[in-house]
Amino acid sequence: MQQVINGISVGAVYALIAVGFALVYNILKFSNFSHGGVMTVSAYFGYFLASTFHLSLLVTLALTALFGGLCAVIIELVAFRRIRNSNGPLIYYFVSSITVGMLLENIITIFKGSTFYAYPGLASNTVVRMGSITIPVMNMLMLVISGMMLLVLMWVIMKTSFGIAVRAASFDVNTSKLMGMNTSQIISLVFFVSGFLGGISGVFLGISYTLYPQIGQMVVKGWIASVLGGLGSLEGAVLGAFILGMVEVYLVSTVGAGLSSVFIFILTLVFLMFRPQGIAGNVVRDKA
Amino acid sequence: MTLFTSMLSFALITLLGVLGTFLLTGLTGLFSFGQASFMALGAYISGLAVIKFNVPFPLAIIIGVASGTLCALIIGIPTLRLNRDFFSLITFGFGEAVAGLLNYFVNVTGGAMGLSGIPPKTNLLMVALSTGAVIWMVNNFRRLKFGRQCLALKNDELAAAAVGIDVYRIKLQVFIISAIITSYAGALYGFLTSYVEPAMFGWTKSAEWVIMVFFGGVNSLTGAVVAGFLLNILPEVLRFASEWRIAAYCLIIVVLLNFRPTGLFDEYELSFRRKH
Repeated sequence: MQQVINGISVGAVYALIAVGFALVYNILKFSNFSHGGVMTVSAYFGYFLASTFHLSLLVTLALTALFGGLCAVIIELVAFRRIRNSNGPLIYYFVSSITVGMLLENIITIFKGSTFYAYPGLASNTVVRMGSITIPVMNMLMLVISGMMLLVLMWVIMKTSFGIAVRAASFDVNTSKLMGMNTSQIISLVFFVSGFLGGISGVFLGISYTLYPQIGQMVVKGWIASVLGGLGSLEGAVLGAFILGMVEVYLVSTVGAGLSSVFIFILTLVFLMFRPQGIAGNVVRDKA
Repeated sequence: MTLFTSMLSFALITLLGVLGTFLLTGLTGLFSFGQASFMALGAYISGLAVIKFNVPFPLAIIIGVASGTLCALIIGIPTLRLNRDFFSLITFGFGEAVAGLLNYFVNVTGGAMGLSGIPPKTNLLMVALSTGAVIWMVNNFRRLKFGRQCLALKNDELAAAAVGIDVYRIKLQVFIISAIITSYAGALYGFLTSYVEPAMFGWTKSAEWVIMVFFGGVNSLTGAVVAGFLLNILPEVLRFASEWRIAAYCLIIVVLLNFRPTGLFDEYELSFRRKH
């Protein structure tokens, strides 16, 4: 039971990353690795806010999220806008996003060094005990905030006109453009939302692990979750993230951290053999 | 070995890795995050074969390459039928799994401390000859029917399949050949440095190779060779602030992708024949 709780709280953070990832995949159909760079930069930004201005957790989160969103919008302008305008192949987006991710990570390394920073005590290390189960307050907060963010996002995607536009664009960007939608604006907004979530997950990662330049490489967890969840499906990504979190926690406690990566590799291989369409099961087909 | 020859050998071995990536990404558009792990496999397995079992050097290299091929088969057969992202995902998982195994079996592989004591058996001549042979081979591949089929499926898999190209088989073949080249490079690497550690072969290494391929131009073998060689040897020669190196690469690549997405060399190929 304790394992399940731990798995869920790990999974919640992965879910935030995975959704930020899947949002961009939804529209542009490429795996956006610059998301990791956004997470790194905002994790450091959050640290800077929290340590210099001694802001509370919620204020830090909100400011960092805005900052992350801004970063993502700038990245879209710098790294993807021109490729999109010239109708470049998907692999260019992919390489561009990886390069931007590496660039941001290296800039942080150059200016802040590769030393580890610990987030100042935003939330005390108190725990809640329920019978034999202990839950750190911080984990619970993360779970609640992530859950709330995901719900709000689902509402936005399903109910607002922005959400409808996003879904239309994710179905077919070019046709929606022909129908008179301002796709550039929608894409910028999607990047903002994705970066917003990236900022929050960056702070959470910084709190649960310590802060170091490679922290953005946790983006691969979100990537794995969103691919396994069914490419581009937000619900699938969330589900995939929770499953990944729980499997990881379980494996680390049974076979140890060293071998867990081996087991995860074998599990994904087997999973893809039996269910190549991912958890959510909508197959993304190459269009003719 | 002097500093210059060892530097040159390292650059050539990395060039081999870049060539494997060029074959895979340049010809078919597949993206492997675990390409560097094939190098790790080649280096570790051939190294261990010599250290633990006293296997003769040429046989050890063959064993290293064979294990790389086997892994490529295991990864390729189930995943190459699926969406390209799954292939990237599985190769990433493969890389993590290899690193996990190497770190776990401390008494065999030395764990995170690395494996040392591999006898130095390669030299510059051998590395240079291998690189030359691989360049020649890759160039021929590109011009054969095989290479044309690859280019067709890179641009449009559906259309390629429609004109009767066995997309799956071609992708599998390319992946295996690139794994062979990369694990061979790994074996050479191990016998050159006599020391390897798991951290050298992370997914960022594979990403770096892809970046080099794109720097030179995905469609140009000349570009890949020049980029792979220059980007390796320049920073060593100039020794300018090394921490800025990767950041500078990344900046250059972002600018290139934006303003000249076909890379420095576009489709240009160095040719020794007279143009008709």
